Amino acid sequence: MNPILEKIFECVEFGKINLAANFPPQMKGQPGADEYTKEALDSGITPSDIMNEALIPAMNKVGQKFTENKIFVPQMLLSAKAMNAAMEHLKPFFKSGEVKRKGTFILGTVFGDLHDIGKNLVGMMVEGAGWEVIDLGIDVKTEKFVETLQQHPNAIVGISALLTTTMVNMEPVIKAIKEMSPATKVIVGGAPLSQEFASSIGADGYGKDPQASIQWLDSVVA
Amino acid sequence: MYPYHFLTYKFSFQDIAPSVDSILEFLQSSGCEEDHPVRIIIKKTLCELQSYQDISGGYIIKPIDSLMLKDGIIKVENKDLIVGKQICGYLKKASHLALFVCTAGDIFTKITTGYNANGDYLEAFVVDAIGSLTVEKAMDNIQEDLAILSEINNLRISNRYSPGYCNWELSGQRRLFSLIGENPINICLTDSCLMNPIKSVSGIIGIGEDIKKKAYGCVICNNSECIYRKILTKR
Repeated sequence: MNPILEKIFECVEFGKINLAANFPPQMKGQPGADEYTKEALDSGITPSDIMNEALIPAMNKVGQKFTENKIFVPQMLLSAKAMNAAMEHLKPFFKSGEVKRKGTFILGTVFGDLHDIGKNLVGMMVEGAGWEVIDLGIDVKTEKFVETLQQHPNAIVGISALLTTTMVNMEPVIKAIKEMSPATKVIVGGAPLSQEFASSIGADGYGKDPQASIQWLDSVVA
Repeated sequence: MYPYHFLTYKFSFQDIAPSVDSILEFLQSSGCEEDHPVRIIIKKTLCELQSYQDISGGYIIKPIDSLMLKDGIIKVENKDLIVGKQICGYLKKASHLALFVCTAGDIFTKITTGYNANGDYLEAFVVDAIGSLTVEKAMDNIQEDLAILSEINNLRISNRYSPGYCNWELSGQRRLFSLIGENPINICLTDSCLMNPIKSVSGIIGIGEDIKKKAYGCVICNNSECIYRKILTKR
């Protein structure tokens, strides 16, 4: 791998945001994902290579480490911060279409539920996996999911719930989505859910954790 | 013996602020460096909340009419609290229940909403954790006070149990709140039984001559997907 891409990979994996960041201690005083991404672009490395050879594999490794309990939420969020610093440089290329995303992922916490930590984690990791994420926030009504899907008809929808009392609200959302667009895929996730529950309410996928959600999303577009 | 009205406690953040170490432990970041971003966010947040006063809680004590262990029901004022067999078992020697609510107020939600809007998810996550620990610490203080009051009357208290844990359905909040009645803390329930402000806790504590505190937390809960169990497992 190109040494600059290796550096970007390392910065994202360990959460080194930029030169000013003191974390992680072993990289103190060194450039971070921010500077290395700029350097990579200046040296002629394509934005697609930065995305596909450094950022996506790095976030994939972070997700894997989280799944294996080798790192915890704070470390994952630091990696996401570093990734975002790199992504800032790539934004113009997403807009111009020079860098292609894998697809669009509409994400929200179901109506009645105000929890957002799990949803945010999934959103960040999915974005790091090369998807465009449209985060609708918390307490998202059925109409909002449907309306956003109308604007992005090829999108996949993700619905989150943290409570036993709100996970039941997912079913009418899925029903409304499928009525409007039968081919649209829907994935659900959240602490009280299970694969069985997801199947019973008509969801196409169940995301046990962020990494499982990414694997399912990638399999849909493979 | 006991006051049979809602007994209110008020705290300032300074009174009950969780320690930096306890927050780091909760965030599974114990032992991190002095200039670690998580530690910096914690210190900044603790500093910003120093003058915060809006933390309150309390309880109302009610006699238990009957306890149906087989059905997992505790009857209070002729209303069924369907807490499940597990909690019922722990409270079978209780003569009274302290029905409690406690809140750290809405400041934590306000701060995290601001951070989330800017995409500062790490900051939001840390502040959310501080909010959770703050309300638990406030409730620890209230529970300690109840224990002292009970000892004066030669009574003991149980652990505290909340809807959503230990197989007590979250929907049990409705009956719990209806038994508590109007609380001066002004915590209200949404249709989905979420408490507002979000950083609030509610539940019951058993009181009786022979009641004992049992093993607590994940040891007695069957929810294998609960995030707190995952944290303990990781340790």
